[in-house]
Amino acid sequence: MINESISIFTAVAGNDTNSGKVIGPAKMTARNLNFYYGNFQALKNINLDLPEKSVTALIGPSGCGKSTLLRIFNRIYAIYPKQRATGEVLFNGENVIAPSYSINRLRSRIGMVFQKPVPFPMTIYDNVAYAIRHYEKLSRTDMDSRVEQALRDAALWDEAKDKLNQSALNFSGGQQQRLCIARAIALKPEVLLLDEPTSALDPIATAKIEQLIEDLKEKYTVLIVTHNMQQAARVSDYTGFIFHGELVEFGNTDDIFTNPAKQHTSDYITGRFG
Amino acid sequence: MFKSYFALAMDGPNKASSHDRHDKRADMLFSLVVKGCALLVLIALLGAAFSMLWGGREAFATFGWKFLWSSDWDAVQRKFGALVPIYGTLVTALIAMIIAVPVSFGIALFLTEIAPAWLRTPIAAAIELLAGIPSIIYGMWGLFVFVPFMAEHVDPWLDENLGALPVTGPLFQGAPIGLGMLTAGIVLGIMVIPFVASIMREVFLTVPSEIKESCYAIGSTTWEVVWDVVLPYTRSAVIGGIFLGLGRALGETMAVTFVLGNAHLLSASLLEPGNSIAATIANEFTEADSPIYLSSLIALGFLLFVVTFVVLAVARLMLMRLAKRAGENKQ
Amino acid sequence: MTTTLNLRRQITDYGARIMATLATLFGLFWLVWILWTTVSNGLPALKWSLFTQMTPPPGADGGLLNAFVGSIIMSGLAVLIATPIGIAAGTYLAEYARNTRLGETIRFVNDILLSVPSIIIGLFVYELMVRQMGHFSAIAGAVALSFIVLPVVVRTTDEMLQLVPSSMRESALALGVPQWKVIRQVLYRASMAGIVTGVLLAFARISGETAPLLFTALNNQYWTTNLGEPMANVPVVIFQYAMSPYEFWHALAWAGAFVVTMLVLLLGLVSRALLLRKKVNV
Repeated sequence: MINESISIFTAVAGNDTNSGKVIGPAKMTARNLNFYYGNFQALKNINLDLPEKSVTALIGPSGCGKSTLLRIFNRIYAIYPKQRATGEVLFNGENVIAPSYSINRLRSRIGMVFQKPVPFPMTIYDNVAYAIRHYEKLSRTDMDSRVEQALRDAALWDEAKDKLNQSALNFSGGQQQRLCIARAIALKPEVLLLDEPTSALDPIATAKIEQLIEDLKEKYTVLIVTHNMQQAARVSDYTGFIFHGELVEFGNTDDIFTNPAKQHTSDYITGRFG
Repeated sequence: MFKSYFALAMDGPNKASSHDRHDKRADMLFSLVVKGCALLVLIALLGAAFSMLWGGREAFATFGWKFLWSSDWDAVQRKFGALVPIYGTLVTALIAMIIAVPVSFGIALFLTEIAPAWLRTPIAAAIELLAGIPSIIYGMWGLFVFVPFMAEHVDPWLDENLGALPVTGPLFQGAPIGLGMLTAGIVLGIMVIPFVASIMREVFLTVPSEIKESCYAIGSTTWEVVWDVVLPYTRSAVIGGIFLGLGRALGETMAVTFVLGNAHLLSASLLEPGNSIAATIANEFTEADSPIYLSSLIALGFLLFVVTFVVLAVARLMLMRLAKRAGENKQ
Repeated sequence: MTTTLNLRRQITDYGARIMATLATLFGLFWLVWILWTTVSNGLPALKWSLFTQMTPPPGADGGLLNAFVGSIIMSGLAVLIATPIGIAAGTYLAEYARNTRLGETIRFVNDILLSVPSIIIGLFVYELMVRQMGHFSAIAGAVALSFIVLPVVVRTTDEMLQLVPSSMRESALALGVPQWKVIRQVLYRASMAGIVTGVLLAFARISGETAPLLFTALNNQYWTTNLGEPMANVPVVIFQYAMSPYEFWHALAWAGAFVVTMLVLLLGLVSRALLLRKKVNV
């Protein structure tokens, strides 16, 4: 089993020598990861490294399991009783899918943004402050600056600073999604999971979010699932192609899009299916 | 600004895990509390059944099965049987449903297919609001307005015109006093109409519009769409709605108590006063002067519980069938 | 041939349309008549003394003050008892037991409890409390009413929480906030309007309930706020006075009926406005 993951790693490393880029140290590592919805196996033996402080994209046709994979990293699947994962996901050397690993602690360190923006039914300020309040007792001024920083990091401060006490539901879709990003990074997570974050947005809002993702990788390790290949090519440093629950290929985004090693990948990228 | 972040990071694993343990405990406690409250609902129904069985044990032990079909109701000799109230309950509920089912169906049809769009919502809202009027109001109206109306205009006419006929005769003979099974049945029917009509309307609205549209597209009339498509599609839920209405009619107390006449008479005539289970309990409970009398009244309550439980269970199962199918269609 | 067939279809259709319209008019006719009776008898009987004087002895003048206060105390207490329990139970059904057998069973039982005849609830609480305590009491009345409020609140909480999109649940849990806090701080807030509506509807329902109070709170001609004693309440006073032979009592009964009816209609309208277009079946 260990040999397998090493062999994949060397395969990836081999790719690197071609393009001359080096994959950074892994922030999170999936080893021999399997996932089941009841009796249906949705992911088969996934081995994957998320390089630190960079953007990794997962692409593949719908239903291939890319969102499923993303949802394992913060164990959000555990809400649903019939879903389970086997194998390991290492984060700072610990297996986070082991039941003994505290699920809330994990989620506070790994932020997540969903397909549809879902602001909580409270003010903009409270949306951002919500999770901080659970983990830290901050003074009013500390909290204010923390909220401001999160909104600035999410490129929303200018639009939000005069409306902090208004309901978040008054925001446009793009603003709501950036608020959701602000809410996730307010906890200062180490990893950010983005599940098709622009699929419900218009092109202008999408461009803003993509720019934001570029900026976010300075502080965070980002994993993004997208059905939009151009988006993957634009925002990511590394790309994994998933098909029928298997990680077919993983490597530098440039390599995957210009010189894929596998026939399936090249078929998908050139639009022959999916 | 970064102070708190570092503080969190530097608190180390011990500090963090005590926070986690606290979270976990609180989560566990919360889930236990809500589960306990949910179980309370279960216990409430079981408790209701058991307490009435317990309260009625003396009556069941003394009279045995005879309690069900004896028409005695004698407080002096302490002999009690449930036949008269059972009969009255069934007959009044039957009259109510004979009136309420077709009228409710008509209203639901009107509100979903016939009425102009601007009229649908206000009438539907009015009918739903009226379904909430307390039954005691229906009872008072029945006693002060409808009973005199029946006594003056309807009962004499029925007695004269139908009372002499060979088949219907026994049903409509009697002094025109207004109180009685027919009046009670009608009041119950009026009470149940808004209730059943609201359910039927909602049920009809669950029919996917594509199905109806494809039927209209081949030239079907409104009636044909309703009869051939809407009704078959919603049949189980329509029956469920009717049974819910029946459950209400069987157990209704105040509306009936006012107009039934409170007489322990077993009479074929619908114009004679009678009694129902609920009305008997309401009228006589505080007057019951012996343990066996009280026990008999509670035993009556147990019978009512069993009957309504069966009716309501059937109703809910029928309604659930359509809800399940509607859920599948959505996915 | 086809034309006669078509004609028959047309006639059937017209017949059905006319019958359905008549049925609606028929249904509305009775309801309007009943409302009109309540208003025309209740409005003239509405006097200031209604709210300042106690229920009178036979034949004398008086008001309904103690009955109003009693009803408010018992209904309020019933809502206070049943609302937290009902919200908790509805939360269990929607958040913890959505597709489990126990959840389905409790939901089914709750639906039955929702339509169980209220007189049965009265008998149940008589056995549960009155017989144990040895006398009728306001607290028994409040408990009886709370068994009527409970299933309504359970049902609305369950339905309203199920309407909250699962993405909201997921995004709150994804922040690492424990489930019980997510439920209390995010999900309840998202379904607040619906749950409040459920409580209002339940309050409307018990404000006119008579049968469960007949053998629990009974009645009391005098002023009392002692929960351990029998307590006057509007529905039972209406029942008693309407059944009496005294004209003045009839007038008081109508006045009480008018007030209760208006309250119920008002609460119905308010809850509708609160709910906007969300749906609840109660």
